[in-house]
Amino acid sequence: MDKEQYSTIEQEISPKPSIVKNVFKAFITGGTICLVGQFVALFYITFFDFTERTASNPTVATLVFFSMLLTGFGIYKKIGQFGGAGGAVPITGFGNAVISSAIEHRTEGYVLGVGGNIFKLAGSVILWGVFSAFAVALIKTILVKMGVVSW
Amino acid sequence: MDIRKIILISLLAVLLAGCSKDAFRYYQNDSDEVAAQAETIIRQDKRIKSAAVVFHDEKLLAGIRVETFSRFKKKKVAAELEKKLEEQYPDMDVTVSADSKILYETNKLIDKGKEDELGKGIDRLKLLLKEET
Repeated sequence: MDKEQYSTIEQEISPKPSIVKNVFKAFITGGTICLVGQFVALFYITFFDFTERTASNPTVATLVFFSMLLTGFGIYKKIGQFGGAGGAVPITGFGNAVISSAIEHRTEGYVLGVGGNIFKLAGSVILWGVFSAFAVALIKTILVKMGVVSW
Repeated sequence: MDIRKIILISLLAVLLAGCSKDAFRYYQNDSDEVAAQAETIIRQDKRIKSAAVVFHDEKLLAGIRVETFSRFKKKKVAAELEKKLEEQYPDMDVTVSADSKILYETNKLIDKGKEDELGKGIDRLKLLLKEET
């Protein structure tokens, strides 16, 4: 069997994912997570001295904490199975990635297992997040210095 | 009551809550005329859904809520209103914000209606607005 034969057979056998249904599920899941986030932000605005602008940081931290708890209890797995990208793309996916790799490597010990692998998946998020933030800030600084836009 | 009814009723409540329009509120010490001028300016701008304005000792603090699709440029709306109010009240220190925290707190100040706490409250909110992160 050569490559082309294999790929045609593979195309025939593998089930077709229903894109519309999956997109709808992801929309509902991601939207629900963001709704929860909105309520958390509203909580911080109402009961603490946070404005709409400054409430985003504690909200993100709280959502990551929620998803870490849910991952530990095994609930986030089900959310991810149902929602797909809707559960992975919001910031809650980050908490899930951290804790799930920690659970996976628990048997290898706390230092080299949990400690060494906890950021195995999330490390790339942190690295490229910091790098892209740096790149965007650099571009914006140049634009502000040139007088094109303002802060 | 079964769960479907509860869900239906709570959904209706959430939907209908969107209909309530709290338009213009203000608090001020001397005459109502000063506030009326601010009200006409704010009502002229169709993008502003509701506003709460506090006048106190040469200080004017306005919290506004912007219509949903104008929220993308709410800072611009607030800046334009601030300019207009500054023209109307040249000797006043005008602060306008489209941040919902400011609207919430100014409404609270109006509800309390305590003269001596106003100045402090306005100063505190102005400090809050300066925070970046």
